Formats: sequence, structure tokens, C-alpha cells
Amino acid sequence: MRYERFGLLAGCVMILAGCAGTGGTVPVVDAGRSVSSEEMRVGAGRQPVQQQPVAEPEESSVVVMVPDDAGGSRAIESYPLDGQPSWPQSEPQPAQQPSQQPAQSAPAQAPASSNGALQGDEQLDGPVLALLTVARDQEGRGDLGSASASLERAMRIAPREPQVLYRLAQVRLAQGDAAQAEQLAQRGLAYAADRPTLQAGLWNLIAEARDKQGNRAGAAEARERARVQL
Amino acid sequence: MGRKRRGRAAKKAGFWKRWSGWIFKLGLVALVLFGGLVIYLDAVVQEKFSGKRWAVPAKVYARPLELFAGQQLSKEDFLAELEALGYRTAQAARSPGQVSVAGSRVDVHTRGFAFSEGDEPAQHVSVRFDGNQVAGLAGHGNLVMARLEPLMIGGIYPAHNEDRVLIQLQESPPYLVESLVAVEDREFFQHFGVSPKGILRAAYVNMKAGGVVQGGSTLTQQLVKNFYLTSERSLLRKANEAIMAVLLELHYSKEDILEAYLNEVFLGQDGRRAVHGFGLASQYYFAQPLRELELHQVALLVGMVKGPSFYNPRRQPERAKQRRDLVIGMLAEQGVISEQHAQTAIAKPLDVAARGRLTDTSYPAFMDLIKRQLREEYRDEDLTSEGLRIFTSLDPVLQNKAERAVETTLKRLGPAPGDVEMESAMVVTSAQTGEVLALVGGRDPRFSGFNRALDASRPIGSLVKPAVFLTALEQPQRYSLITPIDDSPITLEAEPGKTWTPQNYGRESHGLVPLHVALSRSYNQATVRLGIDVGVPEVLKTIERMGVQHGWRPYPSMLLGSGPMTPLQVTDMYQTLANGGFNTPLRSIRSVLAPDGEPLGRYPFAVQQRFDSATIYLMQEAMIRVMTEGTGRSAYNLIPSTVRLAGKTGTTNDLRDSWFAGYSQDLLAVAWLGRDDNGATRLTGATGALQVWSAFMRDAHPQGLSATPPAGVDMAWIDPLTGQGSDPSCPGSIEEPFRKGFAPLPGPGCRPLIDTETVKDGANRVLDVIRGWLP
Repeated sequence: MRYERFGLLAGCVMILAGCAGTGGTVPVVDAGRSVSSEEMRVGAGRQPVQQQPVAEPEESSVVVMVPDDAGGSRAIESYPLDGQPSWPQSEPQPAQQPSQQPAQSAPAQAPASSNGALQGDEQLDGPVLALLTVARDQEGRGDLGSASASLERAMRIAPREPQVLYRLAQVRLAQGDAAQAEQLAQRGLAYAADRPTLQAGLWNLIAEARDKQGNRAGAAEARERARVQL
Repeated sequence: MGRKRRGRAAKKAGFWKRWSGWIFKLGLVALVLFGGLVIYLDAVVQEKFSGKRWAVPAKVYARPLELFAGQQLSKEDFLAELEALGYRTAQAARSPGQVSVAGSRVDVHTRGFAFSEGDEPAQHVSVRFDGNQVAGLAGHGNLVMARLEPLMIGGIYPAHNEDRVLIQLQESPPYLVESLVAVEDREFFQHFGVSPKGILRAAYVNMKAGGVVQGGSTLTQQLVKNFYLTSERSLLRKANEAIMAVLLELHYSKEDILEAYLNEVFLGQDGRRAVHGFGLASQYYFAQPLRELELHQVALLVGMVKGPSFYNPRRQPERAKQRRDLVIGMLAEQGVISEQHAQTAIAKPLDVAARGRLTDTSYPAFMDLIKRQLREEYRDEDLTSEGLRIFTSLDPVLQNKAERAVETTLKRLGPAPGDVEMESAMVVTSAQTGEVLALVGGRDPRFSGFNRALDASRPIGSLVKPAVFLTALEQPQRYSLITPIDDSPITLEAEPGKTWTPQNYGRESHGLVPLHVALSRSYNQATVRLGIDVGVPEVLKTIERMGVQHGWRPYPSMLLGSGPMTPLQVTDMYQTLANGGFNTPLRSIRSVLAPDGEPLGRYPFAVQQRFDSATIYLMQEAMIRVMTEGTGRSAYNLIPSTVRLAGKTGTTNDLRDSWFAGYSQDLLAVAWLGRDDNGATRLTGATGALQVWSAFMRDAHPQGLSATPPAGVDMAWIDPLTGQGSDPSCPGSIEEPFRKGFAPLPGPGCRPLIDTETVKDGANRVLDVIRGWLP
């Protein structure tokens, strides 16, 4: 009788618990999980993503879009450094050859296109060029927020580089912020003295931004100035 | 007798019969009650365990350090950043979090980080330094640039101040689970929530050790206790705990329970903040991510579970080491590690990091700025519980330099008259992007109280003058840098019925002086005359265009800076100058991310052109002369004279406030010195704030201002005495920038054809006059 009672009790408990439970499945939804900075720092297993600003050998030229005479966009190619030496990790590094310095990334062979060649001061440094490449990929995927973040990263490194401002203005325009696009292009102009092609590009961008803001007269004036530059 | 006996037996049987019924009924009632309790507890167990288990305070990060060839960064600053991030020196940097130094080369294995715009991989990077620059990077493939993970600089904690860094079981380092199980609950993987065997063993072990070494409750019970129950000690609670432990085991796997335990366990108290979980404890005690911990570190944390304050390694290092070694010993005893491994681990020191690296007391002034902005845009409970990640622009390297400049200069200057402590504030921004890089709120940068950088609103004195001169230079038909301005005494009606007679600092008048001299020497009378000429309301409008909504009344005394501003507002105003006439709202937050990495808010760079670049260039030229020949020239006692800098001193009545605002190509810094009681300091802008500013700039290695004029500026040779066009061949002629179309026509060349004595004599007189303007 006693044992029966215990058995009954145990049975009841099991049944009750079973009813109350969810059948042993694990409904864990840990909403806070990926907050962990630890997790974010987990890098060993991460694959280098394509955003990784490493100038891949097959991507050794970067296309910076600068508008042509007709007002359309045409590619201007600029070349990053022909690669830094990859030193063995344990051996002492040899003195870097000047020609491999990213700062002196002048391409040995100038791009063939007629007025597409960048002037001496228009060659971009390794990191800035790499970030423009990253931003172009991000923009190509439609990820304008990330493209903007990458361009701002480039801007922190080279704040007075008008090509960066030009690209940032383009992205702002694509994001629908025509007023900021115009301001950024204006700022680019302030640093683009003696670079007529780029100036024309910036004026065309300003014209487009003004059109979007309904400023027809301003747009026409900007187009006029773009023509004068070329 | 027989009857009697029978009667008694019958009585007994009746008793049993009656009572067994009762007992049965009572049993049923108890069963139902118990069942109800179980159902209730089960609901409690599941509800909390399956939902969002913890409120995670928002974490705030500094800017990530970028590495690329040409980057302005010294080896020492790089190593300091790595140390703050908890990197450990090793023979060779082979795994994440390790660094090795060889001469001017630093090898580092970065940890990797998921940024909102893309992942940065963990990788080996070799950085070569040359002076204060990164000479080159090397790594896997053609490495052009790399980023370190950003330093966590604080969190936004709720009132109860419970903080944690959530981890997953897979992230736990070797031996963490083993030692936890070995020390706290040997039967963890076998029992069903409670362990009678464990209780017996604990009793035996404790008896043998002569004290409480082991607790009898299982990890599951401990989790239940911390997670669901109050700390009240009673049998009833103990029973609840046991039932809930069994229920928890019934529903969830050992791994889930263990992971929850690792995140829940209390491991220390940091001021008002409770340190929960191994993830945060690892950061708090070792400044390292959990997965990088070695055996001796893991053993320390596991040993601390029993009594985090009793075994606090910072307060009780010996006791903590004893406990740690005991844990290591237990692991060896159970065969988890070899005896030799145990000996090596025992030989190691505690390895605890210096305090206060990740608390929000590290950079209280900057955190204050961040929190004020966040509170405008987010609800408090979202900030304190949703696990947001906030990325800011704080540069810890520059922050430390700014703090040091404030501290050392204040120490050197000594107290103000009457032995009153002097206070100071400093704001450093990126000159081109308007990002706040460093913020000092007082002489003690660790003190989180009155944030003078944000809240001390003081008259700005001569810092206002660039607005007066800028207003004039915007009228190129009337004013250029060489326009003569009258620096003679002036009396005017200040407010209705009151006259005002401004005086120069040296109580002298200087007659007619070129405009740029009036600014660089900070002549008050000339400034007031110029300001009256262009109009006080116009000057106030210029200040608003520069970025500060001040609400000042248009009194003439505003021309000499009787209107107050905070150091942050002054920074806003000067940012527009440093940025070539483009106003950029100061930014300190770059982005806010949800726990899943989704951006909640981006704070994109925005500019608005407020002034013509050419006008700003002229203004800057005058402010460069403040530094080379005017009130700011003592800066070059500390900074190489090749670095072109622009700036302005500010001093207020009775020497109460000492200001300096100035910039290089890359950095804008504003410094203020004064007293909280607004008393006299005996310091001018030059003898006080400029000293702080220069000490900072000396250490920050700024890039000099570009000498290339923008479009819209013409250079012309002039005769400085007459202001007329001249020629480079003429003695004493100088080259000055003008707005395009407003430069004087070039004069005839000076050729020594005739007797030049009289000319020379005249020229000498001219030169004497010029020399008179020079210091």
C-alpha cells in the first residue's frame, strides 16, 4: 500500500511535469548571445572576407569613376603598389625597397586611356586605394551603409583626398541625400585645385545633386562650370 | 479478557481504518499541492531559461587602431594600445592576443573583429616603425592595412549594475570546464540535478581538509540558486532549489546548463558593478578575452567561484594563489593534467592586469559625452539591457597624451593665488572630420563629476577675435590682411547709459597696425574698432555660422569675448576654421549596433560650407602669425618650428580664465584653465592654457598645415609700410595672400641705378617700423 502510494505519487509527478514541460526539446533562444565582444574577437576560424582590404593580385588595378567630357561616367584606372614584399614571419625583414613603398605607388606603366591617366598627385596610397576598392564592392552589392563606412574610413586616413570625397558624395547621392552629396562635392572641389578632370566630375555631381533638390538653375550653372573645367 | 483484547484489537483496527483513510486523503492533498508546486516551478524554470536570459548593458568601444605604411604612430604608442587590449608578450606571436618585439619591429597576432562594414580577420601582422611613423606592414599576402580590435572603454549600466560579457560554451578555454567540474561538482555529467553522492563526498573532503573546501550542491543547483532564487537560506528554499534543478535537467542538456552557469556565476565586484560570468571576469581580471586564458588563469577564476571577494586576487593575492594552486592540484590528482604541467602552472604568478581598464571610470568625461547623446536617442532600458555595441571616435593614445599634458602642466604651474587648486579642461578633435578624439573634464581625469569640457561655460576672451576678423575678411573690397587698423583708445556706449573703454593688455596703444598684426598681438582697441566697423550683430552672426548658437546680446563687449562658451562649444567654433570653412557637427559616436550586428544608427560624416575657403585661408594665415610672431609663439619652445600651426590665445578680465584654441592639419585642440569658484588665476592664455596645449601637441606629433593656398587666393608682393604693390627685388617687400581680384597691382622693380643712400635710409626706417611690430 505504501509502495503503491509512492508509485502513484511518482507517476503523478512525472505526468504533471510532463504536461507542464515541452516534451524535452530545448527552446533556448539566447537573444543576447552575439553581444559578446569575445565572440567578435574570435578570429582564428574566420575566413578572410572579401571586404578585407588587401589588394588582391588579380585586383591590382582599381577603377575610380570620373566623368568624361560628355558628362557620363568613365573608368579611370589607377594602380596600387605592385604589392608589398611578403616577408617570412620568423626571419628578420630585409630593408624595404623604395619602389615597393605604398606611398610611391606610381605605376611603371601608365594607363593607356587618353585623358584617363591620373596626374602625379592623383595616385592614391595603398590603404586609401584598398578602401576605395572595398567600398566599390560594397556599393556593387547594394550595401550603401557599409560603402559609406569604408569611405569614411578612407577619409580618416586621407581627409583631403578629393577622390575619396567624390566617391562619398556619389554614395550619399545614391542614399538619397542630395544636399550632403552637394556639400561633399563642394568640399572635394576645395582640395582639387589643378585637377581639371576631377573638378569637372565634382561639378557634374553637384549638378546632379542640385537637380535632385529641384534647383534647376543651380544645376545648369554647375554643368556650365564642369564644361569650363575640361 | 478475550473480549477486551478483541475489543482493543477492534479498536485498533478501527483506528487504522479511520486514520489510513485520513492519511490517504492527506497524501492526496499533499500530492496535489506538490504537483501544483512542481508545475509552478517548472513554468518558472522554463520561462526564464528559454527567453532572453540576461539584461546585457551596452558596451562602448574606442576607435579601432588602423595600421598602414605612413601612419603616424610611434612604437611606444602602439605597444601601449596593445597592452590596454591585453596582448601578451611571447617569443613569437603565434596565436591571437600575442605580441613580440624585436628592435623597431613589432609582430602581433591580432584577434579579429566583426565590424559593421565587414570582418577583420585574426592575422599575423609585422609592423616596422621609423620614428613616429609606421614604415611598413607585412603579413599574409599583400597586406596593405590592418585593424586591431577596438578597446572597450565602458558600458552603460542600469541601477542594479549587473554586467556581463556573454560567451558560448565553445569559446571556453582548455581546462575551464574540467576544473569547474573537478572543483564544484564532480558528478556533473552523471547526476540528474542533485547528487547525493556529491554531498557525501563533499562532507568527506571537507572533514579531511578540516574546513569547507567543497560545496555539496551541484552546478545545476548553484545555477538555480543564482538564477531563480533569492539568497535566503532555508530548508524550504533548498527543497525548491533541488526540485528546480531536477526540472532544469529534465528539459535542458548538460551543455546548455553549463553555458548558462558560465555566464551567470558571480565573480567579483567592481565598485557598484557586479562582475558576472567568466567572459567579463576574464576581461576584468586579465584584460584578455576568455578563450586566450591559460591553465593558471583559468584555475584562478574557477577557484574564485567559492568566494569572489574572499579570494580577490587584487586584494588577497596570497590567499588567491593558494586557492588557485589547490585547484591546479586537484586537476593533477584527477589526472586531467600531468604533474609536470601542474608544477609549471603553479610556478606562474597570478598575472592579474592593472585595475580599471574596462570600467566606465577609465574615461568618465568622454563617456559622459557619449551617454548624453545616447540618452537623446535611445530609451534607458534599451541602453542598459539590449546588449547594444556603441562605436566611438575616442583615441586612447591621444586621450592619454591630453591627460598627461593637463596633469603635468597644472603641477608645474602650481595652485592659483590663495592656494586654490586650478582646474582645467581639454577637447581634442580631428581637424578635418570633426570627430572627438580626446576629452579631459578636469585636473583628475579619472574623476567622474563636474565635466568642465561640457559644462563649464566661461567668457571666451580673445578667442572670439577670429570671428571679428573673419567678418571683416569676408568683405575683400574693404579688408585684407594688410589693411591698417587703428589701435588707439576708444570709448563707446556699451549698454544703454554705460560707457566702455577697452584697453590693451599691455595698457599701450599702437597706432595704425596691419590687420594681421592686430590679431596676432591680440590688440583689443584695434579689434573693437574693427568690430564696430563691421557691426557687432554681424560678428555674432559669424559666430553662429561657425557653429555655435550662443544667444548673446549684441553689446560691444562681446567683441572682446565677454560672452561665455564651454570648451566643447569653442571647439565647434574653431572646427569650422580648421576645416577650411566647412562646418562639421562634432561627432563622438560612429555607429550603434544591435547584438546581431544590425546597425541601429549610423552617424554619417556631414559637412556644410559656411565660409569661402579663400577667406578662411587668409584668416588661418593671420592665426599662423599668432603662433610665429604673436601671443602664441612660446608653443615653439616645445614644438619643432617646421610644423605650421594656427591658434589664438584667450584671457578674461582679472585673469580668471586662460584659454587656447589651435590646430594643425590633423588635430584641433582647445584648452581651458581656471578656477571652479571663478577666481583669479594670474594666468593669461599664453602662460596657462597655451602651455597645456603645447605640451599636448609636442607629444601628439601633429602634421603641419598645408602652405598651398586654395583656389581663390592670389599671392602678391607688397610694401608692408604703404600696403601698395611692390616687387620681390625691393628691399623689405613681402609676399602676402589676397582674395583673388583684390591684390594690389605689382609695383616697379627696385634696381640700384642711382645713389641708394636716401632710399636705404628710408627703407631702414620702414624696417624699423616693421621691427617695431615684431616681438
